[in-house]
Amino acid sequence: MIDLTKANHHLWKEIMEEDAGDIRRCFNCGTCVSGCPAAEAETPLMIRRLVRMVLLGLEEKLLEDGTPWMCVTCTACEEMCPMGVKPFEVGLAIRRWQTRKDETYIPLSTTEVFQTGHTQPVEKVGELRRSLGLPEIPPTIAKFTELLKKFQAMLRETEIVKNNDYMFKE
Amino acid sequence: MRYGLYLGCNMPAIRPDVERAMRLALPILGIELVDLEGYACCPAFGTFPSADEIASLAISSWNLSIAEEKGVDVVVQCGSCYSSLRMARAKLLKDEEKRERVNELLGIAGKKFEGKPCTRHLIDVLYNEVGTEKISQVIKKNLKGLKAVVQYPCHTRFPSEVLGFDNPGRPRMLKEIVEALGAEVQHYSRELQCCGGSGGFARQAYQDAVKFTKKKYDAMKNETQPDMIVVNCITCLMYMDKIQKDLSKEGEEFSIPVFDYAQILALCMGFDPKEVASISVIPRDKIIEKITGAMS
Repeated sequence: MIDLTKANHHLWKEIMEEDAGDIRRCFNCGTCVSGCPAAEAETPLMIRRLVRMVLLGLEEKLLEDGTPWMCVTCTACEEMCPMGVKPFEVGLAIRRWQTRKDETYIPLSTTEVFQTGHTQPVEKVGELRRSLGLPEIPPTIAKFTELLKKFQAMLRETEIVKNNDYMFKE
Repeated sequence: MRYGLYLGCNMPAIRPDVERAMRLALPILGIELVDLEGYACCPAFGTFPSADEIASLAISSWNLSIAEEKGVDVVVQCGSCYSSLRMARAKLLKDEEKRERVNELLGIAGKKFEGKPCTRHLIDVLYNEVGTEKISQVIKKNLKGLKAVVQYPCHTRFPSEVLGFDNPGRPRMLKEIVEALGAEVQHYSRELQCCGGSGGFARQAYQDAVKFTKKKYDAMKNETQPDMIVVNCITCLMYMDKIQKDLSKEGEEFSIPVFDYAQILALCMGFDPKEVASISVIPRDKIIEKITGAMS
């Protein structure tokens, strides 16, 4: 049984941003779920369910729900929604709210992008690249140390890095 | 035609043969490629977009500002790079407050975002700027006698309002540029199903993702006789190649060679397969031999 007297009725205002459309228009038709690859998982991503949780203010349940992170980012849901809600953006907004509430949600890949500029070690495959006739290091931020420092200085001023600076190492 | 070449993270690190194919093949079609020196991750949706929107927009505009300095539009092969860069620009052009905040951040690094450069997907540029006729004219070898199925990158289809260039429900451009190389493209019922490789699904519930993708491969096998799968997205390429090994563990064997479009284009132009198509899980030698042996 859900006890709505303990619900946070302002939750939707805390989570939702303009880019996600107006989730109060959602009438739970399920179109977003019908075309969603991750809805086929054993523990499915049910975006319409997440929208209900936000609207009902079920803060605790939502905070421990890992399914927003299952999204394949194909964005088909956004194309299909008949009510102009952007379920893909809703999922991202929930992820961001979760990371603000609980730092264990912060994807480690953000720290990698901070540290190297990339999600993959583009500067560590020199031999392979040379064998294909390519320069050993591609012309990315990985090649320009000075730029990487500026990039990190810029990100040091963002909320996520400021609030969790122990995680972001140069 | 001049474009800033945005490679993303996966291509230069894991599949640099695709990078080599693009760098060799595209200039033959009159596309001059300009390096975007100092670009970073787009950023991928699972990174900063999942943690801090302003930080995410700052990184996207960092990348776009490099193209802006060079006065070029951007061409990209990776689907999620395309979507991330394109959505970021749309958000920033619409929202002055966010744009100002992002420019304050960029200012720390001596950069500025005005939003001029447009990000174009390679399929869009090849179909709409180069054209199928020119592709057919310049190739030295062709794919006649070969059957292909194509995989449209989801990230180039949705949301069509922000990033569409083809019909989102019935795309045809990738099919037509493959046909321009002489291959027969076969359609199957699950052609438009997402490969399943992007984002958290395959990472958090791999066995479920394998089941999802198996439906696609079963339909492909039952309804077509493909010699190859042609993709134009780095995630589709890596995932649709690698997953066949895991699908085969359940009994029936799946071993359909997967190529990026730039790779078969480069092969048809006569470039060395060792440089443009040397990295794959499922062997591609037989198809490569057929192409390199074929005369136009």
